Amino acid sequence: MTRYLMTRLFYFFLALLVLSVVTFALNWLFPGDPLTNMSGIREGQAAYEVTLTSRSFDSTIIQQYLNYLEHIVRLDWGVSLSTGTDVWQDAATYLVVSAELLLLSFLVAVVIGMPLGMLAANYFRHNIDKFILTSAMTGYSIPVFWLAQLLILLFAVQIEWLPITGQINPLYAIDSITGSVIIDILLSDSQYKLAALQDAILHLVLPVLTLSSLPSMLLLRITRNQTIEVLQKPYVKAARARGLSQQRLLFRHALPNVLQDVLPQMTFIFGLMMANLVIVEHIFNWPGAGAWLLKAIIERDYPIIQMVLFTLMALILVLNLLVEVYRGWRFPMTREERYGGY
Amino acid sequence: MSKQSILVTAFTSFFLFSCSEQTDVPEPLQNGLIYCSEGNPESFNPQRVTSGTTVDATASQLYDRLIDYDAEQQAFVSALATDWQALDNGQRYRFKLRQGVTFHSTDYFTPTRTFNADDVVFSFRRWLDSEAPYHSVGGGFYPFFAATGLDQLISDVEKVDPYTVDIVLTHPDSSFLANLATDFAIILSKEYADQLTLKGHQALIDKQPIGTGPFKFVAFKKDYHIRYHRHENYWRQGPEIERLVFSITPNANKRMLKLVTGECDVIPYPLVSELKSLNREEIEVRSEVSPNVSFWAFNTQRPPFDDPQVRQALSYAINRKAIIDTIYYGNAELAESILPPTSWASTDAELEYQYNPDKARKMLREAGIQPGFKMDIWAIPVQRVYNPNARRMAELMQSDLAEVGVDVRIISYEWNTFRRRLSRSEHDSVLIGWYADNADPDNFFRPLLSCAAVASGSNRANWCHTGFDQILYQAISTTDNAERKQLYHAAQQLLMQQQPLLPIAHSMRYQAQREYVKGVELPPYGGISFRLAGKEQPAQ
Repeated sequence: MTRYLMTRLFYFFLALLVLSVVTFALNWLFPGDPLTNMSGIREGQAAYEVTLTSRSFDSTIIQQYLNYLEHIVRLDWGVSLSTGTDVWQDAATYLVVSAELLLLSFLVAVVIGMPLGMLAANYFRHNIDKFILTSAMTGYSIPVFWLAQLLILLFAVQIEWLPITGQINPLYAIDSITGSVIIDILLSDSQYKLAALQDAILHLVLPVLTLSSLPSMLLLRITRNQTIEVLQKPYVKAARARGLSQQRLLFRHALPNVLQDVLPQMTFIFGLMMANLVIVEHIFNWPGAGAWLLKAIIERDYPIIQMVLFTLMALILVLNLLVEVYRGWRFPMTREERYGGY
Repeated sequence: MSKQSILVTAFTSFFLFSCSEQTDVPEPLQNGLIYCSEGNPESFNPQRVTSGTTVDATASQLYDRLIDYDAEQQAFVSALATDWQALDNGQRYRFKLRQGVTFHSTDYFTPTRTFNADDVVFSFRRWLDSEAPYHSVGGGFYPFFAATGLDQLISDVEKVDPYTVDIVLTHPDSSFLANLATDFAIILSKEYADQLTLKGHQALIDKQPIGTGPFKFVAFKKDYHIRYHRHENYWRQGPEIERLVFSITPNANKRMLKLVTGECDVIPYPLVSELKSLNREEIEVRSEVSPNVSFWAFNTQRPPFDDPQVRQALSYAINRKAIIDTIYYGNAELAESILPPTSWASTDAELEYQYNPDKARKMLREAGIQPGFKMDIWAIPVQRVYNPNARRMAELMQSDLAEVGVDVRIISYEWNTFRRRLSRSEHDSVLIGWYADNADPDNFFRPLLSCAAVASGSNRANWCHTGFDQILYQAISTTDNAERKQLYHAAQQLLMQQQPLLPIAHSMRYQAQREYVKGVELPPYGGISFRLAGKEQPAQ
């Protein structure tokens, strides 16, 4: 296990390092002054000279890179080119906003996808299976931006149940402290907490539904396929022969083994969700990191672009690491599968 | 609590919430109004900018002026000044100030005194006097005052007693009062400025604004919203609503959707034709004839656009009638001059440059422009009253110009970048426009085409003509309207000859709102005002 852990950690840090080299190189690949791209301080500003030395721009490129790494570790991403405020300080709430949306959508995806997948597998080749699979294929094939428009048209314009933009009606005057709207409401001293909470939940429905559609369908298909495979294994047949109920068979015996193979797909699904996050946040005016990134790209705000790209990718790496470590610990077989020995 | 019971509680409470929704509207929503504005304000001080978005978000909401212009009566009415008179043959104006006017009291400032002459002197000196301590805060650039020449016109602002102020002019100017009644000549608090100086946070004066207006500033989250609360001790009739939110929604389609879903109460620049086709009775579309003009300005400092013949030839090539039909859906009038027909100084002379591609081609060859000549058209990236879709307009012109052998490239940047590059004169030509700040015809000429406006960056044609400047100067130094009308007529004739820009359209101004909103009027001059805004409580 130690060796497994060490190798995983080694690869994790290697990947981070490569990532930082890429973002570092971006400063030269973006048009304009590399120092400005990196720090957000323009030539001619008073702080420019100081930054020149503090970023080692009077030294070799290796030195500059090491210095860049040091800044990253200190979470000093410079200042925004368009507003002049500290990038990391702004980022904190944006990231929490996105995290809330991502986690909720992921939860919904798991709650919808996995049970349906198991249900379909249970009725393998029955009509129920065919029905679930067909709807999953349909859901899987609908692009997110189009689905969002459809949902808006249906739930907001036609039957007027749900709002379409932002986290909450701004008239509730809930201050964004953490970024997570639900936590913010609970922290606030507003007299109308209950109404605000209700409003926030209504605002959450459409973005969460849109963002969770693709991962839930993916999870459904993976779970179904794995379950079918597992259900055909000899030990399941043996268990069935011993007279175990189908229910007990599914949840006690098949599920853990299904999870073992579904788990590594989760990071992949999470990566997909990150990409869709940008689109969903933009469509629903969600004040999160995805919409922020998109805006920074349009405004060519390089410090922000770098920071968000790096953070989102690092997040996927961290998640990947956690899943791998968990799998290695929970299912020792996977350690051997990959690297032989232990 | 077990997992299941948490889930059950969550679900039941969710449904309980949903059910209670229709029965009573929570108070914050009843007493609040959401206006979905089209962009971020650049600053919270309209002295420093000319963009309509900023003016909408600040001028009439946060501040008051010395005098207001009443479009119905076509007269100036008192605001912070109760009374005024011209002395010394119109070279000195004396203003009597209103007493007992309170400034906003917020969590960052508590006023100890009411409005007086010090505030007026401070507010005017800020843009007038380059030695004033606050002049350079935020860049020291006051485009409206530079473009109208008000900073040259006023030689001094003097406090006579705590409630009397004299404004001394270098020469008599008939557009002076009209300029004072614009959204830009607002009054700031000197006491607040002094406090900020003590703390060393001067720059906050335009970020956490204090004024005397009907609303006070609460919070601004860039790209998302601005929040205001009602100013409780407002000196005249204030709004019924307690909270006002500007929800920033740059996308026109989304603004329309948000109006339909009820997330906005009022929206500017609606997609009129699409909104009407939705045919919803709870939505009202209002229109107002508005003093504006959209035009195509040539950068006259760049060859070959420094040659009037080239500019004339290009003007002949444009099918403006088609533009009115396609871009404005007919909700605009073909511009015969830069001055709208509603102005008293307008004449019914027709613009010479009616669509004539053959003539355009011939004139271009005469001027030495060969087929395949390349030029840029810059199209503003935002919707304005005067131009709902500049990009599409540029595309139409692109094909018109291709007919006469001119190869057009369309250029568009994000709005702030666009304006910055435009004032650096990086363009060949630009599709932009002008929205009058006051009723005086001068407002269409000096801020747009005078030599002073070249320096201040609002003369998009970079056109400086001494003869033209002279006419404008003559026109403002007399108060005789008949004489002024003649002078403006001459100015327009000269303009037509020189053609530094091609006027395209005078557009209607639109606003769409939910039917229960009242008191949000479209003033013909200047930004939107929520001073009298209220809501009829929707019947349950």
